[in-house]
Amino acid sequence: MSGKSRRDFLKTSVVIGAGVAGLSTSTTKAAPKNILSEDRMGVLVDTTVCVGCRNCEWACKEAHELPAGDLQSYEDKSVFKQKRRPGIEALTVVNEYSSGKNSNLPVDVKVQCMHCDHPACVSACIVGAFSKQENGSVIWDTDKCIGCRYCMAACPFQVPAFEYNKAINPLIMKCDFCFNRTAEGKLPACVSICPVEALTYGPRTELVKIGRERIKRNPDKYVDHIFGEHEVGGTSWMYLSSKNFAELEFPKLGTNPAPGVSESIQHGIFAYFVPPVSLYALLGGIMWIAKHRKELDQEEKS
Amino acid sequence: MKKGFVILFLFAISFAVMAQKNVKKDHAKSDLNCKTCHSCEVPTKDQPCLIPCPREKMKTVYESPEQTVDVVSLETLSKKYFPVIFSHRVHAQMSVMSGGCGTCHHYNTDGPIQPCKNCHQTKRNRDDISKPDLEAAYHRQCITCHREWSHNTNCVSCHSLKTDAKGYQKDEAKKKASGKVHPALIEPTKIVFETKYSKGQMVTFFHDDHTKKFKIECTTCHKNETCLKCHDVNKLADDQLKIIKANKSLDEHHKKCFSCHKDDKCVTCHLTKPAEQFDHGKKTGWALNKFHVKLSCEKCHGAKIPYTKLVSKCNNCHGAWNNENFKHTITGLQLNETHAQLNCEDCHAENNFAVKPGCGNCHENYSFPKQKPGKLVGSKK
Repeated sequence: MSGKSRRDFLKTSVVIGAGVAGLSTSTTKAAPKNILSEDRMGVLVDTTVCVGCRNCEWACKEAHELPAGDLQSYEDKSVFKQKRRPGIEALTVVNEYSSGKNSNLPVDVKVQCMHCDHPACVSACIVGAFSKQENGSVIWDTDKCIGCRYCMAACPFQVPAFEYNKAINPLIMKCDFCFNRTAEGKLPACVSICPVEALTYGPRTELVKIGRERIKRNPDKYVDHIFGEHEVGGTSWMYLSSKNFAELEFPKLGTNPAPGVSESIQHGIFAYFVPPVSLYALLGGIMWIAKHRKELDQEEKS
Repeated sequence: MKKGFVILFLFAISFAVMAQKNVKKDHAKSDLNCKTCHSCEVPTKDQPCLIPCPREKMKTVYESPEQTVDVVSLETLSKKYFPVIFSHRVHAQMSVMSGGCGTCHHYNTDGPIQPCKNCHQTKRNRDDISKPDLEAAYHRQCITCHREWSHNTNCVSCHSLKTDAKGYQKDEAKKKASGKVHPALIEPTKIVFETKYSKGQMVTFFHDDHTKKFKIECTTCHKNETCLKCHDVNKLADDQLKIIKANKSLDEHHKKCFSCHKDDKCVTCHLTKPAEQFDHGKKTGWALNKFHVKLSCEKCHGAKIPYTKLVSKCNNCHGAWNNENFKHTITGLQLNETHAQLNCEDCHAENNFAVKPGCGNCHENYSFPKQKPGKLVGSKK
C-alpha cells in the first residue's frame, strides 16, 4: 500500500465493483462471432425413413479421420442391443428402438450434436472456444479449449465428449456439422451417404416447412411434433418420428434456450462476490467454534 | 433484388397460365417450388416445360402383373455398383396383395408409367429438397420391404460391387432374372384366433373353405398386407394349426368377416375351443357322397347367402331322372341285366339313396357291397 493513496484504492474498488455488477446483469448475449443467421442450414432427420444401416456412422468417422474400419462391418446389428451415445470414437451413433404395435419395423434414431440456435456450450465455455456459426453449426476452437468440460455439463443433450484416455492435451470432441465439408459446398458426410435420405440437408426454415408438410400428408404415420423446432429455443437438427419422442429417449426439454438456465445459475452464484464472502464467513465461523471449544477444554482441564 | 425480379416474373407467368385450364390462378403464389412442376428456369405459356409429376389426374387402373415388364435394369446411378437387375414382374405379382402398383408407382399421372427420374433428381446436393433424390427414392422402395423380412440392410443383396464382381455381364444377369414368376402360394388350411370375447375365445377360420369352396379371391381380404405376412427369413414352415392372438381393434377384425357373416350371432364363430371343419353329414344329416363332395356349394344351394336347406330327394336337383332313363353306370356300378329291369325302390328303400341299399326284397343273406348287382366300372371314382 506504500505507493498508493487511500483515494486510489477507493477508485479501483469502484471500477472492479462496477465491472462485477456489469457482468452479473448481462443477459445471454452471445459473443460477437455467434451469429444466428436467417439462412442457417439444418438437417431434418426422418426416423420413419431411417433403415438403421449405420452408413452415417462410417461416413462420419471417415470425414473426421477417426478409425472407421470396413463399411461392411457396419451391417452388424448386434450393436443395437445396447443404447449408445456419441463419443470420442464416434461423433454420431444410431440407436434402435422397438416399433409400436402398428409396424414390424424397428425405429432407428441417429444421435449427434443438435447444433442449438442458442447453444448452452457456447455460453458455458469459459475461454470462448465455442461459437454458433452463420451456417448453423456449433463449432469450437481446439487451440482455445482448455478441457474444463463445462460444455459437457451444460449441454442439454449431453453431446460433447472428452478425450479421457489422453494424458496430455485432451480435448472436447463432438459433431461439427462437417464444417469443413460444407464450406467447400459439399454435404455433411452423413447426409451424403444416407441411402434413403433420411437426413435432409437444407435451410432450417425450409426444413420446418417440409416437416410440417410431411406430418400433414401422413397424420397417421407421424406424431404431430418436430423435435428441435422449438426445443431449447430451436436446434439446427430436427427430428420427425412415428413414436412419442420420450419413448425414443429424447430428453424432455422446454422451449426456453438452455443458456438461460446455466447462465443465470452461474451469474447468480458469482454475483456480488457471494461465493468468496460466504466462504470466508463459513471459515471464520468454523475458526470461532474451534477456538471456543479449545478454550472450554482448557477451562475443564484447569 | 434479383429475387424480387424472379417473383415479379413468376407473377406475370401465373397470369399467362391463368388462361389455361386446370391451373389455379395464383398457383405461383403457393408454397410450391416452381421446379416441382416445371423443368426449365423460365416457364412460359407456350413452353410451360411441365414435368409429368403429380397432377390432378392420377393413374388408377394398372396392367395385371403378368402383362408388365419382366425385368428392369436400374442403371442411372450405377457408379460404385453394377446396375441393379430388378425382377419387376415377380414384385408386381407380390404387390397385388399389398398396396398394388401404386406402392412404387406413386403419383403416376394418367398415362404411361413414369420413370422415377422424371421427378426425383439424380443429385443429392440440390435446391428442391421437398422430395427425396433418385438414390433415396429407389432405396426407400426397396429397403423398407427387404429389411422387413431379411432383417438386414446389406447392399450386396441387390447390388454387385464393381470391384469384386468377376465377369459380370449385364445381359447374362438380366437373362437369369427374366421369366421368373411367383411360385404358387401355400395357403393355410385353418387358423385359430384367440380373442378377448369372454363367451367364446376361440374363432376358427377355415381358410381353404373360403378360398376353394366359396371361391373368394385373395384380394377380397388381403389388400394392404406387409411383406412380412408371407416372407420372413426367421419364419418356420407353415404349420397346419396356428393360434394367433387377436390384437387388432374390434372393427378391424370383424370388418373382413362381416362382409358375409353380418347376420350371424357372435357364438357362431366364437367358440370355447377350436372348431371342427364343416361336415355336411354331421351338420345337415345328409352326408355328401363322392359325387356331391366335389361340387361347389352354390351348384346346389344357389348363389344366395345364407344357404337354405334343400329337400334331399334326387329329383330336387336331378329333375329329369326317373326309373327309365337313369343310367346306373354313372354311380360306378353297372347293373347286370336282371337288376337293370328292377325299380329303384326295390333296392333303395323308399327311394332314400343316402342309406345303404338292401338286397332283402329278393335275396336272403345277401348284403351290399359284399354282393354286387353288377360290376364296378372305373369311369367315375
